[in-house]
Amino acid sequence: MAQAAAISRAQGERGAVRGGGLARRRARIAFLLCLPLIVLVLALVIYPAFYSLHLATLNKSMTRFVGLANFAFLFKRETFWMVVRQSMIFAVSAVIFKALIGFVLAHLIHRLPDKGQRKWRGMLLVPWVIPPAMSTLIWWWMYEPSYSALNWLLAGMGFAPVPWLGDPYWARFAVILVNVWYGAPFFMIMYLAALKSVPAELYESAEIDGANAWQKLIYVTLPMLRNIIAVTVLFSLIVTFANFDIVRILTAGGPRDMTHVFATWAFKLGIESNDIPLGACVSLFMFPILGIAAVFILRDVHRRSRELAGVAA
Amino acid sequence: MTKWHLSRRGLLVGASSAAIAGSVYGRARGAYAAGKLSVGFWDHWVPGANDTLTRLCREWAAKERVDLTIDYIPSQGNKLLLTIAAEAQARSGHDILAMNTWLPGSHAERLEPVDDVMGEVLAKNGPTNPVVEYLGKPDGHWRAVPATPGSQMKGPASRIDLLKQHAGIDILAMYPPDGPATPAAEQWTWDALLAAAEKCHKAGFPFGIGLGTTSDSVDTWGSLFHAFGARLVDEKGDIVVRSDATRAALDFAKRLAAFLPADAIAWDDGSNNRWLISGKGALIFNPPSAWAVAKRDAPQVAEKVWHHPAPKGPNGRFGPYLPYYWAIWSFSPNKSAAKSLLAHLSTREAAEQLVAASQGYDIPGYLSFNDFKTWNEEGPPKGTLRHYPPTKDQILSIAAAPAPHKIAEQIYNQATITKMIARIVQGGDSIDKAIAWAESELEGFMRG
Amino acid sequence: MSRLEVAARGAGKVASGDLRRQRRWALWSAYACLGLFCVLFLAPPIYALVTSLKTSQEIAALEGNPWLVRDPTLANYAALLGSSTFLRFFWNSAKVAVIVVAVTMVIATLAAFSLARMRFFGSTVLATGVFLTYLIPETLLFIPLFQIFTWLRDLTGIEFINRWWILCIVYPTLTVPFCTWILIGYFSSIPKELDEAAIVDGASTLQLLLKVFLPVALPGLIAATIFAFTVSWAQFLYPLAFTTSLDQLVLPVGIVTNLIKGDVFNWGQIMAGALLTAAPPVLLYAFLMDYYIAGLTAGATKG
Repeated sequence: MAQAAAISRAQGERGAVRGGGLARRRARIAFLLCLPLIVLVLALVIYPAFYSLHLATLNKSMTRFVGLANFAFLFKRETFWMVVRQSMIFAVSAVIFKALIGFVLAHLIHRLPDKGQRKWRGMLLVPWVIPPAMSTLIWWWMYEPSYSALNWLLAGMGFAPVPWLGDPYWARFAVILVNVWYGAPFFMIMYLAALKSVPAELYESAEIDGANAWQKLIYVTLPMLRNIIAVTVLFSLIVTFANFDIVRILTAGGPRDMTHVFATWAFKLGIESNDIPLGACVSLFMFPILGIAAVFILRDVHRRSRELAGVAA
Repeated sequence: MTKWHLSRRGLLVGASSAAIAGSVYGRARGAYAAGKLSVGFWDHWVPGANDTLTRLCREWAAKERVDLTIDYIPSQGNKLLLTIAAEAQARSGHDILAMNTWLPGSHAERLEPVDDVMGEVLAKNGPTNPVVEYLGKPDGHWRAVPATPGSQMKGPASRIDLLKQHAGIDILAMYPPDGPATPAAEQWTWDALLAAAEKCHKAGFPFGIGLGTTSDSVDTWGSLFHAFGARLVDEKGDIVVRSDATRAALDFAKRLAAFLPADAIAWDDGSNNRWLISGKGALIFNPPSAWAVAKRDAPQVAEKVWHHPAPKGPNGRFGPYLPYYWAIWSFSPNKSAAKSLLAHLSTREAAEQLVAASQGYDIPGYLSFNDFKTWNEEGPPKGTLRHYPPTKDQILSIAAAPAPHKIAEQIYNQATITKMIARIVQGGDSIDKAIAWAESELEGFMRG
Repeated sequence: MSRLEVAARGAGKVASGDLRRQRRWALWSAYACLGLFCVLFLAPPIYALVTSLKTSQEIAALEGNPWLVRDPTLANYAALLGSSTFLRFFWNSAKVAVIVVAVTMVIATLAAFSLARMRFFGSTVLATGVFLTYLIPETLLFIPLFQIFTWLRDLTGIEFINRWWILCIVYPTLTVPFCTWILIGYFSSIPKELDEAAIVDGASTLQLLLKVFLPVALPGLIAATIFAFTVSWAQFLYPLAFTTSLDQLVLPVGIVTNLIKGDVFNWGQIMAGALLTAAPPVLLYAFLMDYYIAGLTAGATKG
């Protein structure tokens, strides 16, 4: 049995052919099984993306081809660079906090006796389960200048009311807060599962070597979790970077455009100001930034997976 | 709020289903000789106002035998804007869509010219006010028919008691409930408003004038600019924002902003309504939807609200007017039915009913329609809307005029005016720096 | 010698009682922290619940503790549940979600099976790349998609725009990649011996998939289904862009555009609507939480 398994694994790994016809037929079936996925992605994601590339090269009324003139125009606008900066700040800080909080929560839950873990996990995952458009509405109501329940609490503690959505810096904080609230549970669940899969022996041998809690974290936990951390951070970076709902419902990009991210600004330019090519340009700008990040992280992940697979074999 | 669909089943009472099944197409043809029509109207802020419009349309559809579908599309969250943009791109969708302010101009090439309808309508109703014509005739042709629902004045609505008690202004003496404006109304200038704003701010009841990027704020400060003679772009398309008039307007705005709520810069169209209804505010700039809702939710506030014209500035008394239109897409398959419906909705009787249903919120664009009884009778307090419709001493204005339409649309949508003020007030920019920023924005709008 | 004493000695502690107290203190502080986070995480939905039980007048009034209800009323819920418009939104959301889940699961399962088990030219690229479709956001795609559907309408005569079934076509672009990824991870963790045994017994590929794989991978499939449902239910931008008529709207768009009419104090109804919209995913999750979590994490931890 083990030998057969080893052979099939080798087959899988090298993509080698054991008796040409059978493997080629299997390859064809494999391809056919993937076909719906490929067609879906090509027709509804890749093709429209290229079409918007085409749109980005047209003039405002979409009658002439102007090449890269729209991009040149964008690069000269102060607001554009502000949006770039803001999107990055938003994405990076939100992801860092989500990862940190998720990590801390995962540890705390992991410490509990197994029976008790379930209900904490359940309660803490709720923010992620509520549709984000709905939870943003709830937060909007909590931030509402005249009626803010949060300000009421602050007033009870002796603080002045905070202009959550009125002051640009508070507005940025408010948006990030909602995003962190929404996304942290996802990280928590991922890290919790990953923590469970770290073999207890590693911790024990670390203890025997005299490691304290902090050292165990750094030398045992983090390396074992490196892959999952990379993957969740990447996924979250992408999704947060392209976020539309939260900013749109809470601030619509204001005040003074200081909470605009790519998606909302593209929407404002493209749809609300009737300049679709320019809107397409702004959206497209997201892609290279994300692509570079994705390439690096995934390459790292892939390398590690192959290492692990090699080790396991 | 309803979506109403006149279905085949409704009309063909008594027809057997077998007969229908057998000759559906033939039946449909006979029952709907004039075909199908799909309309997207603006979803009214005043509770219940949509129903009258539905009824008027249904009457027309029954008479003309048209299979009519009506959708009510809100402007909140830019849903209406999205719909218009999407249909323009796809060249498909409704036959008629409500469009406001700069939209007929910006989509002019895709809209069916309605000079024929307007010819008849103007002959019966008389001329429209200048803003309606300016925005509805962007290229010499009427591209849309002025609509009653949604057309509004963005003038002030004040708390009679608070203004008298804290600012010493007797608004009823200036704009009495049973007569035209008195000579005392000459005192109602922007400077007077500034002084009153300061006093009310000190007393804890600030004026609620938004400095945000939605149309309520843009219209208000746009009329301030006009009152000072400040323009951003002139008729020829030249950038003229750098001028003494602009500096004067911005300086005034800076002084006034000091007495407005701290987060006014983040206000949307609903914020000033909430401000007034909560009882915290002494004055807002807004048409009567806030008052109409207050009647239901905070009657003790509603009965002290008075609507009146905007203040006078060095360049005159400019009243912000925002017109709505009904436009027919050029790709519509049933233009003749569409035009017929719009003509039906533009009669005096229709307008009167719509204004009554909106509790006086709507102000039709035809000058002869500005004398409906509704405005004199609405209350409490009775007469609060008497001075809401445009008066002869006001010049109706729209923010960003007189710039060419496509540029003005950008100025309006990107809220360049309020953003300039916000830069000074919150961002600490000097007036000249803000003007320089505006210049660079305006250059951007010149893109073809 | 117990591990505890070894560890205690290794850490230089003297009395095990001391350690136990320390451990208890650590446990209680963990509970305290978790309790705090629970409060923070659950405060918004609870506040929404409280608000949804208030009348317009009570919401409008600025006195008192906003976190408590003085005169609770079910009027907001009654208004929504009695409104044919709202029920229509609910029904549309349900239809779309069910169809999308079915479509997603078929596509994702087939593809994941293929990518986890078989090799063909470009399969590794596809497996990692499928993830990258998320790099192309919705705000970029909805305008070109509009054009595509208009062109399709001209070609086939079927009206897509402003019809709820257009959502059934575009939503899978959002659900299929992640579901495929989850399932790949899950399928990979199933021992290849199972396959071998089945093939030795003479199963074809399809039989292998249906009779061997799916039963064993059921938890992962449930998890992917839940994910697909949650994502479809929660979509905002695509329905906002593609549907306008009231009878075609789904819940999130319906609530946001129809209850926030600018009719100032409909916050009670808005919160009620938000909670009613959140209810199906939350209920689903409440009953199937373990599958949900298992599926989310299966793909990840195998990485």
